[in-house]
Parts: sequence; C-alpha cells; structure tokens
Amino acid sequence: MICDCLPAQEAPTAVLPSKHHALLKKYCFECHDADTQEGGVNLAELSFDLATMESAESWQKVLGVINAGEMPPEEEVQLTRDEKTGFLDDLSHRIVVARSILSDSGGVITMRRLNRREYANTIRDLLGVEVGVEGLPDDANPGGFDTSGGSLFLSSDQFEKYLEIAHTALDLAIATGPRPRVQKIRRQCEIPANNVIKKRSDKLLKQYNKAQRWRQTKGKKSPTEFGFIDSDRVKFEEGLYKNQFPSFDYYLNGLPQTKTGAVLLTTFGGAFLDTTTVPRNSVAGKYLLRVRAGYFPGSPKHHRFLEFGNAETDARSGEFFVAGCREVTGTIEDPSILEIPITISDEASREIVLRQRLPNNRDAHRLDFRDAREAKKPAPDPALWLDWVEIEGPLIDHWPSVPQQKIFFSGLNTKLDQAYARKIIQRFASRAFRGKPPAIRYINKLVALYTERRAEGVSFVDAVKAPLAVILASPSFLYLVEPVGPGQATRELTNDELAVRLSYFLWSAPPDGGLLSLAKSGELGKPEVLIQQTDRLLDNPRSLEFISGFAHQWLNMDRLDFFQFNSRLFNQFDDSVKEAARQEVYQTINTLIRANDPIGKLIRSDFVVVNDLLANYYGIDGIQGHAFKKVKVPQGSPRGGLLAAAAILAMGSDGERSSPVERGAWVMRNILNDPPPPAPANVPQLSRIEESHVSARKLQKLHMEEPQCAQCHRKIDPIGFGLENFDAAGQWRDKEETFVIKRGVVKSRKSFKIDPSGALPDGATFDSFVEMRNELAKREMDLAQGFTQALIEYGLGRPYGFSDYDLSEEILEKAKVEKFGMREFIHALIQSKQFRKK
Amino acid sequence: MNEQRRTFLRSATALVALPLMESSGWKRFTSVASATASLNAPPKRMVCLGFGWGVTRESWYPDRNQVGADYELPAGLQPLAKHKNDMTVIQNLSNQFSTEAHWGSTFYLTGANRYAEPGQSFHNSISADQIAAQSFGRETRFTSLQLGCEKAANSGHGPGLSMSWNREGKPIAGLDNPVDVYSKLFSGEKTPLAQRQALLKQKRSVLDTVMEDAKSVERGLSKNDTNKLTEYFQSIRDIENRLSKEEQWLEVPKAQPREEIQEPVGGDRGADELKVMYDLLVAALQVDATRVITYRQPVESLIKSLGATITGHNMSHYTSGVRKAVSETRDRKQSELFGYLIDKLKSTRESDGSRLFDHVALSYGSNINSIHYLTNCPTIVTGGGAGFKLGQHLVVEKDTPLCNLWLSTLQGLGLSAKSHGDSTGVIKELI
Repeated sequence: MICDCLPAQEAPTAVLPSKHHALLKKYCFECHDADTQEGGVNLAELSFDLATMESAESWQKVLGVINAGEMPPEEEVQLTRDEKTGFLDDLSHRIVVARSILSDSGGVITMRRLNRREYANTIRDLLGVEVGVEGLPDDANPGGFDTSGGSLFLSSDQFEKYLEIAHTALDLAIATGPRPRVQKIRRQCEIPANNVIKKRSDKLLKQYNKAQRWRQTKGKKSPTEFGFIDSDRVKFEEGLYKNQFPSFDYYLNGLPQTKTGAVLLTTFGGAFLDTTTVPRNSVAGKYLLRVRAGYFPGSPKHHRFLEFGNAETDARSGEFFVAGCREVTGTIEDPSILEIPITISDEASREIVLRQRLPNNRDAHRLDFRDAREAKKPAPDPALWLDWVEIEGPLIDHWPSVPQQKIFFSGLNTKLDQAYARKIIQRFASRAFRGKPPAIRYINKLVALYTERRAEGVSFVDAVKAPLAVILASPSFLYLVEPVGPGQATRELTNDELAVRLSYFLWSAPPDGGLLSLAKSGELGKPEVLIQQTDRLLDNPRSLEFISGFAHQWLNMDRLDFFQFNSRLFNQFDDSVKEAARQEVYQTINTLIRANDPIGKLIRSDFVVVNDLLANYYGIDGIQGHAFKKVKVPQGSPRGGLLAAAAILAMGSDGERSSPVERGAWVMRNILNDPPPPAPANVPQLSRIEESHVSARKLQKLHMEEPQCAQCHRKIDPIGFGLENFDAAGQWRDKEETFVIKRGVVKSRKSFKIDPSGALPDGATFDSFVEMRNELAKREMDLAQGFTQALIEYGLGRPYGFSDYDLSEEILEKAKVEKFGMREFIHALIQSKQFRKK
Repeated sequence: MNEQRRTFLRSATALVALPLMESSGWKRFTSVASATASLNAPPKRMVCLGFGWGVTRESWYPDRNQVGADYELPAGLQPLAKHKNDMTVIQNLSNQFSTEAHWGSTFYLTGANRYAEPGQSFHNSISADQIAAQSFGRETRFTSLQLGCEKAANSGHGPGLSMSWNREGKPIAGLDNPVDVYSKLFSGEKTPLAQRQALLKQKRSVLDTVMEDAKSVERGLSKNDTNKLTEYFQSIRDIENRLSKEEQWLEVPKAQPREEIQEPVGGDRGADELKVMYDLLVAALQVDATRVITYRQPVESLIKSLGATITGHNMSHYTSGVRKAVSETRDRKQSELFGYLIDKLKSTRESDGSRLFDHVALSYGSNINSIHYLTNCPTIVTGGGAGFKLGQHLVVEKDTPLCNLWLSTLQGLGLSAKSHGDSTGVIKELI
C-alpha cells in the first residue's frame, strides 16, 4: 500500500531532545557543571546542538564514557536501565547525524578519478582488450561509493601501475603479425583419464603385493629386502592400498562408462578434474569450448552441473578458479553437447578445467570420499560422464582488430613517418580524453617520446605505443575534468561533459558515438532527448555495469565474500551457487529497471529472477538454461524479494550460523533507511555463556542485558528473528541446528525450535517471516528514500548530504507519481539541475 | 559473458615482481658507507607490528598489581618467557579519538581524529614510522617497507593499504605476500645497466609529459578540484624522488642476506606466512635494505591455519567455549611467533659483531584491546634501538596517548620530533 501523500521526511537534526537536560542535571552536574567542572568537563554549558566540531567531539566523549560504564562513577547514583537506554539511543543517533552534517560537502562535486571498474571498462572501450586490474586499489569506500571523487585518491604506486597496465593493454590490442590460425583441438576424455587412474592404481597394487610377499615370510626376512625402510612403512603402504585402491579399481573395472569416456568421480585424491590444454603460445582472446557429456541415471539433479574454469598455478588437485557452471541435460545414452564461449586472458593459464559441481575445496572432496567409504562404498556416487572436450579458437571477428584500425587509421602499409605518428597520437589523445582537445605542447612532448624511441631503433608500431601508454596515465584521461571559470565553484555542464557524466553513471564507461554526436549537436541538453538517451543507455546490456557496481555497494554485498561456507553444513552453497545468488540480486534490480516496476517489489514479489542452477537451489522445477529469467514463485515458496534471496541471507551469516544481528541491521539500513549507529567501542563485556550449544535467540538475549547494547539491538535483533527460518546459506528450515565440528566431523548437534515472531522498530508485530515481509512491504517509502539517497551519492559522485534534502524530495515526488517505478528515480535524478551542474 | 570476463581474467600480478621503483639511496653513502661500515656504529631501525583484532583481555595482560620487573607473565604471553627481561609490556595507552571498534590499524600509528577535517568523512595523518623514514630512509635503497596481508579488513585492521600513512594522511601501499616482498628485496636485476640507465631517462621524459597535461588540466579548476589534482602532482614528485634514488643505487646490486634465505613460492597462509614474513623482515634489516618497517599481520588466516573454522571477527566477540579457546590459541601463537622474531633479531649479528636486536626499536600491538574495547591498547616494546628500559611491566596513567609511545620511540631513536599526533609528552618510565 502506498500512502496518498508523501509523508514528510523528518528533517534530520543533530539537536539532542531537551528532555535529557533533566537527566544530565540529575546524574552529572554535581561534578560537571559550571562550578565544579571536574576533569575540565562542563556539561551544563555544552550545547545540545551537536553540529559543531567542538560540540560533536565533546558529546562523542560523553557517549564514550557512558558506553564504557565509566560514568557516572561506580560509587555515584546510576541511571536506570530505561533512562540509559533512551539517552544512549538518542545520543548515538544524533552523533551520527552530526557527523554527516559536518562532513556535508555542501553539494560540491570533487573532480573524480576513474575508479577501478570504470578504468577497466574504459580501456576495453578504447582498445578492445581485457586487462587485469587487480594491481590497482579496488577503490572501496567504507560507507560510500567508489564514484565519490573526494575519496578516490591517487598514489605514486598507482601511477606506475597505470603505465604498466597501459603497456600491457596496447601490446595485446595491437598485433602486427599474421592473423592467428583457428585451431580446433578435440580430445577423447577416457584416454588420459584411464591412464592417470591406472598409473595410480598400479602403483598401489605393486606396493601392496610387495608388502604381502614380506608378510608371507612371517618376519623372517627384513622389510628392507622388499624395498621398505621398516615394518611401519609396510603398514603405511597397506593402509594406502586399503583406502585408495577400491576407488581406482571401481573406476577402471566397476564403471563400464569409463571405457567410452571420463567419469568425474571423487576418489581418494580429491575430485576428478578433466584438463584440456590449449597450446601454451595460444593468443589471448575468445574461444569456444564444446563438451559432449551425459549424466548418470538416478544421480541427484544438483550434481548434474559441470563447472569450468582455468587452473591456477598453485592449484591443488580438485580446486581451481571456477569461471562458470552449466547444467548437463543429456544422459550417457543420449549425451548433450554444451557450447560455452570463453575468454582466455593474456595472463591466464592455458589449461581449461572441468569438474562436477562441488565445493571448491579439496578438504570437502576428501570428506565426501571418507563419508562414502564409511558407508561401505568404493567412492561417492558418480553423476557426470564426459565423452569428449573440444576447444576452438581464437575466434577473431576482425583482423586487425577494430580498435587497432582506429588507432592506425591509415593502416600500416602507408608511409610510417613522424607526421603519421603525430596524427595517431593526436587522435588517440582526443578519444582518450573523451572529446576534450589535448594541448599542443603536450602533443609535442608525446611526439618527442615517439621520436626518442625511433632514434633508439625501435619499430614504428612500438615507438607509437610509448606515447599512447602515457596518454592512458595522464590526468585528462584518469580524471573526469570539469573546469570552472576563475574564482568559480560551479556552473552548468557543457553537453560534452553531460554525455560523459551520463555514460559513466549508467554504463561505468565512456560515452559512445551516438551520445557524443548528440552532445556535439547540442541536442543532448534538451530534456526529452536526455530522457530518450537515458532510456537507451539503460536498455543497453552495458547498464549491468552500473547495476552490479551500484547494487554491490548499496546493499553492502562485499560481505558475501567474507566467509568460506562450511561445506559440511552447506554442501550445495558452493562457488557456483554463491555466484548465481549474487547475480540474482543484480538481475532482479535489472528486471525491475527494465520493466519500470515499483521498487517495492524488492521487498516482496511473486517472481524471482533465476537461472537453472539457482532454480535448482531454490527447489523450483522446470527452469532450463544458464541465462537469468523471470520466473513465477511456486505456491508455498517463501522466495520473491530480496529478503528471501540467498545472497542477502548468506551475507547475514558467518558461513556457519545465521546472524540475526547482521540480517536485522541490513534490513534497517537498506529497507527501512534507518541505519543503526556503528558498534560502540569500549562497551563492558557481555556475560558469558558456557554451554556449547546455544540458540540464536539466547545468544542475542545477552544484548538486552546492558543498555549500551540494548539501545540498538532491541530494534535490530527482532527483525533478524523474523528471518531465522532461513539457515546461513539461505535455505528454509523449521528448526535451528547448532553443531560442534572438529576436523570435518560433526561431534555433536542440537536443535532448537525457531520462534520467528518479533516487532519492527515502529512497533508493528509479526509472527512469521511472511508476516514480517508483509509489514516491511508497507514501508516502500522508506526503501525509496534510501534508494534515492544512494542513487544521488553514486550518480553525482559525492556523499549524500543534508543539503540534498530538496533534491531527494524532488526525486521521490516524481517517482511516486509513476508508482515508484525504479526507472523513474534514475530519470528524475538525471533531469535534476544538480546532475547537470559541476 | 560477464562471469567469464571476470574470472578468466586473472592477473598474474600476485606472482610478478613489482617494478623496482621504491629503491634508492645516496650514492655518496653507498660508496663511502661500504668502506666505513665497519668503523661506524650500526644504524638504528624502527619496526612496528600490528595484529588487528586485539587479544583476550583476561589472559594476555599481566596483573596490574604486579608492576616493575617482578611480574608474572600471563598465559597469553607465556611463549615470550625467555625474552621477559628484554621486553616491556605497557598498559593504559590509548588513541583518544578512536571510535571504530573494528579498526585495529588505521589510526594505530597516527593517533588521528577521523572527523578532524570539516566537509570530509575520513581524515588521517602521518604515521610514526614515516617520520622515522624521512631521516632513516635517506641512507637505504628502500625508504621504508610496508608488509601486509590479504583481506586485511577480516583481520581487524580497518581502512588503509598498510599500517603506514604519508604526510598527506593518504594510505601507503603494502606488500601483501612474501613472494612480493622477496622479489622487491632480493631478486636480481636482469636488465643490463646501460639499458636501465636509458629506462630511467625514459621514465623522466614520461613524467615530464604527463606534467604538461596536468598543468593544462589545472587551469580553470575549482579550488576543491585543484586540491584533488595535488595528489597527482605529489605522486609525480614522489616518483621523481624515487628515480633520483634509483639512479644513485643503479650500480649497486641488491645486497643478499648472509644466511641464504629461501625464495618463497607462494601459498603460505597464517602461521607459516607470518614466519616467512618475519624471516624476510630480519633479512631486510640485516642487509640494510631499509631501516623502517611496518607489518600489518594476518589474523584471520592465522586462526584458520590453527584449525579454527570461525572468522576473525567472530573470535573477537568471544563467549566461553570455542570462540574464547580460539582467541587464546591465537594469543599464544602470536606470542610464540613474536618470540621467534626476537630470537632471530638476537642471533643476527651486525658487521661490528653486536646483535641486530640492540639496534631495533620494535613495537607490537593493536588499536583494539579486545572485543570492542579501544582503550588500553595491547602494547609491547622490545629491542635496544630506542634505548628503552626493558624487562618491566608498566602501568602508565589511564588514557595516556599511544602517541606518547611513538614520540618516545622517535626521540629514543635520535630523531628530533617534538610531538606526534595527539602526544602530550614522552613516557618517562621508559627512558
């Protein structure tokens, strides 16, 4: 339900309610008023308005000593629990507000450096290549966005990295040799697989037979005569045989399917990896991977997924860098052929690896194997069979590449002289500077760099690369420069600048030709053209760069990578599912933006946006294909909306247990737009719990013992309880189970009944997850406000400040008219005068 | 399509040597220094170690009633028993402005107030080690060295790229794994000298060219943007300084440690990683590659390597049972490894035969005490570099600025610092 009128956003204030004066007078003034001023502290004259630097600092100290339990001193009269809770609640929130007021930039947009994502996209746009940017700082901005110019710093290390990456990118982009031949390498999988397994198996058997021969001597001969150091070694070899041989023997003799293909079995050594190596000197680029595969009848569906990626140099067997996952839909009798386009980057290993979908963790494979052995099986049940694997490539659309043709605009069969070099440099600099003309003196120096190289005997092409790399480390490229007149701080953006701001907002990349020509002709400045271009950019798949970059930060999704999920407890929440879960969040937002659906659908919707893998994880049948699609939520399923999305739920855990605190705080921050203040320092320790099994409810109860904790946790935790029916990996559960795990073995477990009832901070109560979700769905306005603030911050490239209050009202008004359609917020921001101003 | 790009594009940077850039030193020192090294007293060094998520407060801090030389080492410090007479444990040092309960290193060496700058939500200032580097760094190939670990936030360190912050309060990048550290310190230069000289010349022309663009960008910028561009100018100046230094060291091969040190192959995690880093740290000091080192240590991977399945953060909020047990195991292991480092410093000899230990001012601690406590930062000082009185348990006045320790250290090392951060003076009991 949407209210008819916009509820006035409570004007944020950093003024402490005057009612607390009485409290201070009662407990503090005896020592800290104008007369006493013990320790130099005079609270009687301390302003209740926290929004000056001095006052904020003083109140921070007051908060600190009360949190730490230092004040009032032990021997003095203490605040009652309720007084303390109420006072701390008000004070900590007002300090947060005061800090924001004090750090308000007053609408000033600081010149922005390309962040790491934008930098990689911009290089791709100019040169058509993918380069590793891991060496650059990730530009993560605690509490903000990576588009915030004020926070994007630059250091000398970084400058050198830019140069290095630019050289690598140019080397990759500019090829002078003949067009690489397309190679097709097909390999029958059973041949290498059987060889490897046979070798291991024979070795075990040989050692075992020797051991048995020694045993037959009944100790009359020394083990050394049989090649063993001592009898312990004999025992060791016998142990190996007993443990490992049955799985290898099973592979070679118990599975007829291994005669015609490779079975991706987990054996003692770990999960079976099928490896195809393309020639070491294969160029970077696009390749096509084809696999003919089938599944074993009766195998569980979640095992019928094939993971692929490339081997890492320090990979141990069974682990690799999982790049993707595809469902195998054919059977062994009637196999299917998977076609997977892959990109091999320059630095990447040329070994392409396939594995049955499993936790990407060798220990987990070993534990699976151990479980199977304990169940008297030779190995875990096989699920996938590979007939052959083929790699074709490199697949090249144009030779030379389009970016190369743009750089060497007259080709290389022309007069390769300085005049040509100069033009190349000039054109490239203009493009790299997004249309801003480079200064002549600068071009002269770039040409001089070329000339120096030529004088050293370097080839024309390589000599040109040197100044081109320098362009990619120059400030006009690295910064979105918006100069103002002398003495000025702000002005209207030019159309060119508007094009740049728009495309970095919606694509995290430079403007394309269409946008630039509309800017040149002056059309872009017209509101209707700007609307049309905004729609065009959002409809382009490149807008996923914006959506993923924005959502990742807005929803604090970095937490998803904080933990390795315990594979004993969450065997299915592996790398592939985690990645699909992450994509689900982006794809859901993408779907809403595309359809201009109400933002409230992020809280509750009757559909999910999933692919085959995630549908399987959610227990939704009949979804095929790796692409994400909108799917109606089946009757009785709790899914639909971010609250029930695996990624969001998993973030609210530590990889083993759900965390009502993290989940509750996430809902307050991201749905209710009421972020809890940071965890206070120096709070006296909570009392201890001695049992090894404690329910989440009981753990959180401790938070209520001390007012310092209770002030926030009384609001946070109950929301988390409403989500307790989801385990740490986001699966529905009726009971909470706790475990003590040692060396992968569950030593003890206990289950607790889940009580999902609770209340929202405003008092609305609920008895179940669904009831809580329905309550939260009524608060679409809160979500809309939070989203608006985040969008302003991300889109304008500066922190959201109190001076943005009117802008945010304006956006909300406009969006509300269109039923809070997600696209409307974006339009409203882009149409605002703030977006069009430096 | 997205997924493949992201993942197939793994950079090999983790295994590639960083370009040799931070190298430096005055030529007049190197030519003279090698000849006179044996005549001069060994140089002084400053090393600061930080371990993120504090300690177990009940079992790490000595009893406050036992001060002076005669105190009992609590369980968490037991592994340091043999060094008890050569180290001082200090209680009650704090950074008064710290309010972030998960930031163990961000302000540890700076004492800055995050909110000191109006209109900004984050501010920091120079770290103590960088003050030392300004003087000590002139004489070595590397002005200072920042060691670190991967995923530092999970180890309770807070924002930053290492423990070090430069004059402008900007983070200084660290080397986050032993492979990079080894490569920077000891890998030989494969390029011939003449080529390297030409390369330096080229680098200078490159800097000159980008400065040309920077100057035209600067024209017409608002005041705020001009300040931002200062970072770019500063970076270029930093590189120019480094190039000058590089030039002076161009003909001096990288000194190799006396005891051959094994080249790390990568993949060490937790306790092993700490040990290798300590080996490299000692080797760097021994060959005088640098005299100032900070090390932002791995904590989460340490506890993982000791068999824990919980996260670092989870451990830091211990309840009795698993979490506290992990926390205490961590304390003991960290102490054991710290003891290993002290052992190495004691057994490594300077050219005049004295112990390396006697010339290093070594500190060990975190801005986080335990759980969310930020007062009484865990602090141990050792080594003879700053001339501190060792072998005692000091309980200084409550809330004494941690920066008083940094000031004492800097002065003890012979530097003329008047103050640092929010310091109010030196710690008299140490001197």
